[in-house]
Amino acid sequence: MDDLLADFVAETREMLEASEGEIIAWEADPSDTARVDTIFRFVHTVKGNCGFFDFPRLAGLSHAAEDALADCRAGRREPDAALVSAVLAIIDRIALMVDAIEAGEEFAGEGDDALIAALGADFDHDIAADIPTDTAPTHAPASTILERCDVSDDADATKKPDNTAAVQRSIRLPVDLLDRVMSGVSDMVLARNDLGHRLRQAGNQPTIDGPFERLTTILSDVRDAITRMRMQRIETVFAALPRLVRDLSADLGKQVMVDLEGGDVELDREMVEMVRDPLTHIIRNAIDHGMESPTDRLKKGKREIGLLSIAARQSGNTISIVVSDDGRGLEEEKIADKAVSSGLITAQQRAEMGREAILQLIFEPGFSTADEVSNVSGRGVGLDVVRDNLQKVGGSIKVSSQPDVGTLFTMQIPLTLSIIAGLTVEVSDQRFAIPQSYVEEIIHSSAKALDFTRVGETALVTFRGQRVPCLMLSEVLGLDEGDIAEGEHTMVLLRLASGDLFALAVDRIHTHGDLVVKPLAPAVMQNGYYAGSTLLDDGQPILLLDVTNIASEYGLVSDARTRVLQNAEEAETQAEKDVCRAMLFTDFDGRRCAVRLELVKRIETAPASAIDRSAANPRAVIDNMILPLIGLPDGPIPAEKIRLLRLSDGDCELLHAVREIDDAVELNAKLKPVKDDELIEAVTLVGDRTVSLIDGHELFARYGEPPETTAKPVCRLPGSDWARTILGPLVTSAGYDIAEDSSGPAEDGSEICIMLEEEYEAAAALEVPMAGPLIRLRSLPQAKPGEDTIYRYDREALVAALHKARVAGGTR
Amino acid sequence: MTDLMVMAQIAGRRCAMPAHDVQSVIELGTVTPVPQTPDFIAGITALRSQALTVIDCRRALGFPAIEWNTDPRAAVVSVGGFSYALILDAIEDITTIIGEPGQVTGGFGAEWSRVATGMIETSSGPALLIDLEALIAGPADDVGNLSDAA
Repeated sequence: MDDLLADFVAETREMLEASEGEIIAWEADPSDTARVDTIFRFVHTVKGNCGFFDFPRLAGLSHAAEDALADCRAGRREPDAALVSAVLAIIDRIALMVDAIEAGEEFAGEGDDALIAALGADFDHDIAADIPTDTAPTHAPASTILERCDVSDDADATKKPDNTAAVQRSIRLPVDLLDRVMSGVSDMVLARNDLGHRLRQAGNQPTIDGPFERLTTILSDVRDAITRMRMQRIETVFAALPRLVRDLSADLGKQVMVDLEGGDVELDREMVEMVRDPLTHIIRNAIDHGMESPTDRLKKGKREIGLLSIAARQSGNTISIVVSDDGRGLEEEKIADKAVSSGLITAQQRAEMGREAILQLIFEPGFSTADEVSNVSGRGVGLDVVRDNLQKVGGSIKVSSQPDVGTLFTMQIPLTLSIIAGLTVEVSDQRFAIPQSYVEEIIHSSAKALDFTRVGETALVTFRGQRVPCLMLSEVLGLDEGDIAEGEHTMVLLRLASGDLFALAVDRIHTHGDLVVKPLAPAVMQNGYYAGSTLLDDGQPILLLDVTNIASEYGLVSDARTRVLQNAEEAETQAEKDVCRAMLFTDFDGRRCAVRLELVKRIETAPASAIDRSAANPRAVIDNMILPLIGLPDGPIPAEKIRLLRLSDGDCELLHAVREIDDAVELNAKLKPVKDDELIEAVTLVGDRTVSLIDGHELFARYGEPPETTAKPVCRLPGSDWARTILGPLVTSAGYDIAEDSSGPAEDGSEICIMLEEEYEAAAALEVPMAGPLIRLRSLPQAKPGEDTIYRYDREALVAALHKARVAGGTR
Repeated sequence: MTDLMVMAQIAGRRCAMPAHDVQSVIELGTVTPVPQTPDFIAGITALRSQALTVIDCRRALGFPAIEWNTDPRAAVVSVGGFSYALILDAIEDITTIIGEPGQVTGGFGAEWSRVATGMIETSSGPALLIDLEALIAGPADDVGNLSDAA
C-alpha cells in the first residue's frame, strides 16, 4: 500500500510538473484546445488514480475539473478566463493535497466546495441557455449542480461529490487473481480455436456459425480488456527518454540524437517499472562514457551528432530491448586491467578469456572504468545493480562492443504469459511458430531474385540487393532435409532486435495468427532453440522458435558492428534522394513492365477457376472479393495457377495478371515518357534493359472499381434466431450485408433496418429514433389496417421492399 | 504411514510415486517431437490448453532405447511448476505404503540409485520410491552432453 501511495504521489507530481507549462500557456490563451487536452489528461489521471485510494476530496476536485474540461473539449462550453482560474485553483489545491498525502497528514484547508462551485457557476447558466434542462444529455457535473441546490439538500450534496463511487469505479485486485483470469481467457481462446477448426471441418452450418461468430467477437473483446488490465506499452518508459537524453547531453556538452523503436511493444505493468531504471542507467552510461564530445567525433571521422538507438521487440515470453550507441565503444584492455587489478579475475584467467567474456565483466559488482567520477554516472552504483535487478525478474543483459564503432546492450525481460502474433512454418512435416514481430518479409523461393548461393558452408540469399545469411531450419534443428531442392525453400526474412537480418529456409508457410505462448519445461528450454510452446487450432502443441538465440548460436548477431554506422548512412542516402521503387514483372505478352511499388498491395496466386471471363471485363475472386482483372492473355489461361499483382489506390483495387514476377527494383535511370500507349507512363532502363512503367492513374481511371463487398448496403436484422437463420440468407441474396449485432446502428441512414412488429412497437413506445429506411414484419398473414407491414413469409413483398430500399439508398 | 502411492513399472521394475505428486493419468495423444533435445524427452503433448513435456522414463533412467511395450496412458506429474507426462511400462495400482522408505545394502544399481529415494514395502510387495525431480533431470551423461553443446 505504501509503495502504491508513493507511486501515486510521484506520478501526480511528475504530471503536475509536466503540465505546468501547459497551464500557463492555457491561461494566456483559453481557446487553445491542445492545452485543454493536456490538462484534461492530467485531471483525468488523478481522478482515475484516486479511485485506488480513499481520497474522496481529491477525487471530487479532479472529477469536477475533468467534467468541466470534458465539456470544453466536446464543444459544449467555451473556456473563458473564469473557468481557467477555477481549474487552476483546483490544480493548485491538488498539488497541496498531494504534499499533505506524502507527509501523511490530513489536508486541513477547507473550501473544496467553493472551488467546485466556481467551476460550475458559469456552466449551469450555459446549459440553461443552450439546451432544455430536462433532456440535457449531459453527464455533466451532477456534483456541481447539486452543489447549488438549496440548504436542505446540502448534506447530501456535499456527500455526493465526495463519494468515490461517483468517480470512475475501480478496485484493486491481487495480481495472481488477474493471472488466473488471464490464463482462463487464454484457455478459452484455445477452446474457441479448436471449436472453430471443428466447425470448419463440419462445413457451413448457419445455425451454429452465427452464435460462434458472436462468441468470437465477445471473446476477443474480453481478451483485449483482460490483456489491457495487465499490459502497458513500453512507450510509457520511452516517452521520458528523449528528454533525459537531451538534458544529459546538454549537461555533458555532447550532441546526441535518440532513435526509439518498438514503443508499441506491450509488457506487464510490473515489468515496465522493472525496465525503467536499468534503461535509464544504460542510457546515462552510454551518453556519459560512450559518446565522445563533438570535436572528438569529428576527429574520428564520425558525424558530430551521436546516435543512440533504443529498440524493443517481443519474442515469445521475452521482450528484448536493445540500446546501442555509436560512441567510442568498450575498451577490452582497460576492462581486463581493471578486473585484474581489483582482483575480480586473475591474470591467468584473463589470458584465457575471449573478448566477449571480458566485456561481460562490466556487469560485475564494483566495476567502473570511468577515470573520474562524474555527476551523471559512475558513482559506484553500477551495471551490477542493473544486472541483478533484471535477473531478479528472470531477465538478462549482455553487452557487445567494437572500439570506435559503438556499444550495444541487449536486455531480455520475460513475460509471464502472453498472446503474440506468430507465423506457423513447416519443415520436415513438423510445424514451428515464429513470432511475427521478427518477420520482415516472406519470399517464395521461385522468385529468381532470391539468388540462393553457398559460400563455403554458409548459404546466402539476396534480398533487396543485399546478401543475407541464410539458415536452413531443418539443419538447425537436425531434421531430415526433406525433398525440397536446395534453393527451392520458402524464405522467411527475420530482423533481430539488433537490426541484423537473416533468412530462415523452411519448407512451407502455414497460417499466421494469435498464439498463446506457454513456457516450456527447463529441460526443453535448455538448448536455447525454443522460446515456448503454443497450441494449434486442432490442439496439437507446437514449438515457438527462439529466433534471437538461434541467430546468436550461428553468430548472426553483430557486435554492434557496422550497424549504427550503416543506419546513419542509410538515413543520409534516404534524405538525399527520394527513391522511386517499382515492382518488376513480365506480362503475358512477354513485355518487361514495372509498376510503382506503392501501388502494389500484395502478390496473389489464384487458381484459374477463380477467374471469370464471361463478362466483357474479366474478373477474379480473391479473398471473397470480386476484383477487376487485367493483363490476361487473349487465349485460354496458360497455367492452372496464375500470379496476380493486387494493386490498390487506397479505395479501388484491381488485379494485374503477370507471367512472372521479377523483383522490386529502384528506378534510378531517367524516365522517358511514352505517348503511344496510354497505359504506359514511361520507359526506363533497369539493368540495361528497357522496362515499361505502368501509368497508375490511367490504370485506375479505366479499370479501377471499389471491391464488390464494400459496395453492398447494410441491413440490420431483428435480434432473433429466426431472423438470423431464415431471414438472413434471403436478405443476403437480395444483395445486402447483414449488420453485426455488436455494432451500433449507423446514424446516417445508410443502412436499412428490418424489424418485427413487436420490436417496432416497443421501439416506438420508447421513442427510439430510427434512422434510415425501415421494413416492418408482422407474424400474421392478415395486415392490421393502416399499418405498413409485410407478412414475414411473404417472400415476394419482402424482396420487393428490399429492392426498393436499395434503389432509394443508391440514389441518395 | 498412510501415504498413497501410484505403483508403476519402469523398465520391468516396480516403482512407486507419491500419489500426491501425480496429478492425473491421461491417455497419451499425439506427441510432437522436440528436435535438438536429449532423447529421453519424447516431445510435448497437450492436456487441455497446457503443454506437457513427455518424458520417456526408460531413457530418462539411462536404459537403451529398445522396443518395449509401454502403457498407452501416461502419468502427469508436476515438478518445479511445470507439468510432465511420464511414459511408463505400465501403471498398475494405487496402494498404501507400509513403513518408512529404507535402503538396501549394495544400492539399487547405477541407474536406479540416482532416481530412487529408497525401497518401500507396500501391500503388494516391495517397490522403489522414485524421486521425480531426479527422474526428470534425465541421465547424468546426457546432461553433460547438453552443457557441452550449449
